[in-house]
Amino acid sequence: MLRYEMIVIGAGPAGLSAATEAARSGMQVVVFDENARPGGQLFKQIHKFFGSREHQARTRGFRIGENLLKEAEEAGVKVVLNAAALGIYKNKEIAVSFGGATRGYRADCIVIATGASENMMSFKGWTLPGVMGAGAAQTLMNIQGVRPGGRILMVGSGNVGLVVSFQLLQAGCQVEAIVDAAPRVGGYGVHASKLSRTGVPFYMSHTVVEAKGSDRVESAVIAAVDERFRPVAGTEREIGADTVCIAVGLSPMGQLADNAGCEMSYLPAKGGYVPTVSEFGETSIPGIYCAGDAAGIEEASSAMIQGKICAAAACNSFGYINDEEFRERAEAYGLSLSKLRAGMFAPQNKGRTDISHTAEGYPLSGSLLQRGYISQDEIEAFPAARPGSGKGLRPVIECTQNIPCDPCQDACAQGCISVGGDITGLPTVDGDRKCTGCCMCVAACSGQAIFLVDEDCGNGSGLIGLPYEFLPLPEPGALGLALDRSGNALCGAEVVEVRKSAAMDRTAVLMMKVPAGMACAARFFRPADGRQACRGR
Amino acid sequence: MQRTIRTRPTLPFSPEGDDGLIVCRCEEITKGEIRRAVYDGMRSMNEVKRYLRAGMGLCQGQTCQRLVQGILSRELGLPLGETGRIRGRVPARPVILEDFGMSDGDSEGV
Amino acid sequence: MDADFRRSDVLIIGGGIVGCATAYRLGKRGVKALVIEKSEIGAGGSCRNAGGVRQSARDVRELPLAMHAVSDIWPTLGEELEIDVEYRQRGNLRLGKTEAHIKALTALVAKSVSAGLDVRMITGDEARAICPHMSDEVAGASWCPTDGHANPLHTTFGFYKKALEYGAAFVTGVTVHGLKKIRGRTRQALTDDGVYEADRVLLCAGYESRAIANTVGVDIPVEREVSEVFVTEQRPPMFDVMLGTSDADFYGHQSKHGSFVLGGMGGMEKYTSNDASVATHGITAPRLSRGVIKYFPTLRDIKVLRTWAGHYDVCIDGVPVVDNVGEAPGLTLAFGFCGHGFGISPAVSLALSELIIDGESKSIDVSALGYDRFRAKS
Repeated sequence: MLRYEMIVIGAGPAGLSAATEAARSGMQVVVFDENARPGGQLFKQIHKFFGSREHQARTRGFRIGENLLKEAEEAGVKVVLNAAALGIYKNKEIAVSFGGATRGYRADCIVIATGASENMMSFKGWTLPGVMGAGAAQTLMNIQGVRPGGRILMVGSGNVGLVVSFQLLQAGCQVEAIVDAAPRVGGYGVHASKLSRTGVPFYMSHTVVEAKGSDRVESAVIAAVDERFRPVAGTEREIGADTVCIAVGLSPMGQLADNAGCEMSYLPAKGGYVPTVSEFGETSIPGIYCAGDAAGIEEASSAMIQGKICAAAACNSFGYINDEEFRERAEAYGLSLSKLRAGMFAPQNKGRTDISHTAEGYPLSGSLLQRGYISQDEIEAFPAARPGSGKGLRPVIECTQNIPCDPCQDACAQGCISVGGDITGLPTVDGDRKCTGCCMCVAACSGQAIFLVDEDCGNGSGLIGLPYEFLPLPEPGALGLALDRSGNALCGAEVVEVRKSAAMDRTAVLMMKVPAGMACAARFFRPADGRQACRGR
Repeated sequence: MQRTIRTRPTLPFSPEGDDGLIVCRCEEITKGEIRRAVYDGMRSMNEVKRYLRAGMGLCQGQTCQRLVQGILSRELGLPLGETGRIRGRVPARPVILEDFGMSDGDSEGV
Repeated sequence: MDADFRRSDVLIIGGGIVGCATAYRLGKRGVKALVIEKSEIGAGGSCRNAGGVRQSARDVRELPLAMHAVSDIWPTLGEELEIDVEYRQRGNLRLGKTEAHIKALTALVAKSVSAGLDVRMITGDEARAICPHMSDEVAGASWCPTDGHANPLHTTFGFYKKALEYGAAFVTGVTVHGLKKIRGRTRQALTDDGVYEADRVLLCAGYESRAIANTVGVDIPVEREVSEVFVTEQRPPMFDVMLGTSDADFYGHQSKHGSFVLGGMGGMEKYTSNDASVATHGITAPRLSRGVIKYFPTLRDIKVLRTWAGHYDVCIDGVPVVDNVGEAPGLTLAFGFCGHGFGISPAVSLALSELIIDGESKSIDVSALGYDRFRAKS
């Protein structure tokens, strides 16, 4: 039987990272993936990632996937696609099905990096065509190039629901509403804000109770829920939609570990049943490791580090790196991982609803949590969100939650912005330094939460530089409406300049002129001709 | 494994309005059937699976397992983690008989 | 309350089909049973077999159980249990491809005929007329028209549900470590949940029964043997017979659901049966797949959805023990079914209920299945 020193199951971020790490250290590695293309979910991720420079923050997910693949190739990793691992038997024997046959392989060690599957919810009509997982919708539009529908109801306000909703807008769909049975938006506030300002309404403490239609979804009924998440009679409201996207969490796909005989435990914070693993990702069976979402739901950046940790442990165990080298690597990776696992959205805080202030002591925006946007009076509590008194453009940073992200401080050549060593800290703006209006911070912010604001640029006008990722881009001189944070029309607006450059990586910055006094509230531009891929209300 | 005492139910089965809801799509098992199975004495994911076929279809419970666990948890007053799980079994993905038969420790080529 | 719960008329150790069915039959006669199961209901062989309800190719010592089950119980069992047990009495074909196969089958047939069973040898073409889609390689078969198959899961849970209705109680997640005699009678089960007690004890816990019986000085030569089954996706109905092969490449049937349930062995079982955990082996299902395709080429593109392994409780002479233990009064044994217990379990439970209540099995002759029949080679 053919044997590899390491067999990795799953060519997603965790699997490819593990394979590369091991191959670079000298192990002979093969990666099997059931899909036609590698990268796991990374190639669907067209948004910029969070984290720090070491985590490839502000790089778009698919680029990270391309980098990973290139590294794996350079390291000599063999990636076999359309190859489904069917089972793990005794003695680390793996059955893999591809090319019209099932083949047996043996491995000295195995890394299970099989990812997660989408949770479903059952409601009347949920089996109608048009009801799908948010991840499935993302695959349709970002991999297959097919728009999943025209009018979308998104169920779930976690990061998946929010990110996919934004991508649906980018693909030209209308997102009719985002509903979530929880009373608070589950994902990052910055993701919610970029939807709200285009006019997408949030219905918290609501759920979908029915998808209606004869042979496909024609509308959806939502209703408010009580504190035990039961729909309240009489609160139903019908929403016209042809697609209902379900984004109510992910479940680790640990079946292969289970099948191998690894000890499994039910851990709600990890999303369900996962193999019990050591700090280096080793399961109860020595030499079988588990990394990434299969070991517990997190996100791609931490999955990549987990993959490396497993591989380093395996390399150490088989003598490819010595104990000292292993300790150094494990420490560095551990540190990198702990940075991502910090802040109010850290895995250990999953499901908590009692966090009321940021680490800096600012009150969290209740409006953001309940409606998806920050109210004007709440935003003023955050110093970095106040434009300051000086003349000219100033960065206004509407980043109000402790999320692990710091590209803004690297983006500013003038050193105006700092996050500090703890990447979950809120950015601060040093008012004494000179903003040149270069817009790099606006484009660098993965949460699209930075604006350049000049409240009085003369002639009774204010100027706002805002991040913009919709096509077609407005031309300079385009007229339209300025929308506020909630997506309501505020005043007339004119795009005076469209900034774009390679360094901005497809996040354009619209310089939008509005009447003086409006610059502190105007956060989005809707062209008068309506030729824009986002919802009008 | 938790000790579970099972005796004849004392109250009649009480139907609910949404009992007709399909929960296991592959095998078309409804919420009402799962609730009825619990009433009939099933006490875990595996027993419900064996009694009703919920989770035995093409997806092997990938879609419905959580939903069934949720119903069991509510009906039995158990935490989700104590309703049991469908064991991961070979093949993790459906495989054509002829392809499956090719496996005999033969892995030449790759 | 708890102390009350630990006492019963009869303690049944093992919540498989034999335990559930006997609890039901005892309940029907007004005797209260408490079933102790270490895992879940039917978690052992009861839900891990391929559903054969077969008289042919059985040892003549257990043939009375098989023939009684088929003539008197199976035809109306679904109505009795108020569950669709999916019993189909469309015969059993045991297939042969080579001369050696035919010879072996012919010998088996002769034995069964002498015991009064309607079974005969037929040609390959006759077999293909009964079961189309079969390859031309089939040279002949034994044919028992009164054999059939049923759904072991529904049957097991049907008995369980009825047992509950008739007042039996079950406790799962409790492991019995041993038995204890009190004042000359086997009365107590010692468990990881304390002592359970009854006037009578039925031990029907598969291969694990042996160690438990050992604690009261009874040893039945039973060992476990691993075997595997796989199940496919649904197909429109193709055939209704129960199938086996002389070569034991596979056995099984198409279920009412439309899926094929096919079982067999890989050949290494002698050396894999005592692995720490029951797990499928890399060579077994592929071997079964090849075996099935040889006999049924049209199934080559059907999808396999699931495989599983289970343990036979193999008794040294190929038939179970179904008997009262005279030397440890109060104890009744029912194990060692060797992988063909499902089809006879409805009759076994009847015999057991009579052994327990009446002291002897009046309806069915189980006298050849005694507990002290094991002797040194002479």
